[in-house]
Amino acid sequence: MERSAGALRVVDVDADAPEPGGTSDPGSPAASADPAGPTSESPHRVRIIDGTLACLARHGTVKTTVDDIARESRVSRATVYRAFPGGRDEILGAVVDTEMARLFSALGVRLGTAGDLREALVGGIVEASTRLRDHAALHFLVEHEPGMILGHLAFEDSDRLLATASGFTAPFLARWMPPHDAERVAEWAVRIVLSYAIAPSDLTDVCDPVQADRLVTTFMLPGIAALQTADAGPIDITPYGGNRPDPDRPVSSP
Amino acid sequence: MDDTRQRIVEAAYACVARRGVAKTTIEDVAKEAGMSRATVYRTFPGGRDEVINATVAWATLDFFARLYERIRGAESLEEVMERGIMFAHRSIVEHEVLQRVMQTEPDKLLPILTVESIRIREGIVTVLSPYLQERGLAVGVDLHDAADFLARMVLSYISAPGRWDLDDPNQVARLVRSELLAGMVIPERSR
Repeated sequence: MERSAGALRVVDVDADAPEPGGTSDPGSPAASADPAGPTSESPHRVRIIDGTLACLARHGTVKTTVDDIARESRVSRATVYRAFPGGRDEILGAVVDTEMARLFSALGVRLGTAGDLREALVGGIVEASTRLRDHAALHFLVEHEPGMILGHLAFEDSDRLLATASGFTAPFLARWMPPHDAERVAEWAVRIVLSYAIAPSDLTDVCDPVQADRLVTTFMLPGIAALQTADAGPIDITPYGGNRPDPDRPVSSP
Repeated sequence: MDDTRQRIVEAAYACVARRGVAKTTIEDVAKEAGMSRATVYRTFPGGRDEVINATVAWATLDFFARLYERIRGAESLEEVMERGIMFAHRSIVEHEVLQRVMQTEPDKLLPILTVESIRIREGIVTVLSPYLQERGLAVGVDLHDAADFLARMVLSYISAPGRWDLDDPNQVARLVRSELLAGMVIPERSR
């Protein structure tokens, strides 16, 4: 998940060479008439990434070869290497980046269109939880290559994941509370999503808006109010990666 | 746990502490425990994997035994949680074997820990439920719902503190009274 810093790189337009539909000049109109569609928006990259996701959902990373990816994406091996000169490893990196970008952009839409805090929390939790639940490749990897995924969910790496996901979410919540409270609340929401994603509950289905709303109104909203009560006094924010005070983040009370 | 199982599990723990999970064989465990390989296999027919799982389970039980010791005599739900969270956080940070295996062989340990975390969560529910009940739940809050949610959150904070400094009693007190308990119990001053 540390790759997420570059998450948006993949959706940038890139100068991917068009598929040579045989021996013709790659720049010719015939070559542009590739079944992938318009070549100006790197169709191969997205196609190959989606093909790779399908492979991962069936075989995981270990057994997925560039040939499998090419076959699944219905492009030639040469096209795969032209789009991803680094081969398998580069493709897998791009898959992680793309999936993070997809998750975060969907989350951003939900958070950005919410009319109040309750709606933002419920919408964000449902959106993220549903996407994690329905992610076939993620499930295969958790099941068969646990070290790959679970490593991000344990101890220090989990802190990094919390930082990334709550760093994305906090500015949306800061519409309704001071920024330093928004960071804590965002982190709390991420914890909830992760807990139920790792170990689904018989008691609460957080993918169901009604149940997620019950959880938010019963446990979160009173907790947020308590975080903000003036009589509790100001609280130091612990920067990630250590207990040193962060000069860039002055402590203030609500 | 009977005496033979206990000896084997403690021996396995010593082997893992020295050499890690991958390099620990049944042979090593038998030698460390001062018994034959046959005895180890009779006690753990599943072999190495079963021994390793039992060792993690034993370490978890040991943790809960020390946790109970630590929270004994606490006078309120808040105090139980403060003491418990600070103790659990320290136990994880200072657990040399856990930390080393997490560094060197996360693949071996994580699947076991993921299964184990369900048992740990149930353990936390068992510890906290009576205190929650005694403290008094907020209107409309179900004990099972509250205890399960609380245990999930406690597990999340102790394994990854994020923005909270769990060595600072003031921060832990604040965490307990806001994100953890505020929605589920009757406010302190109205009791």
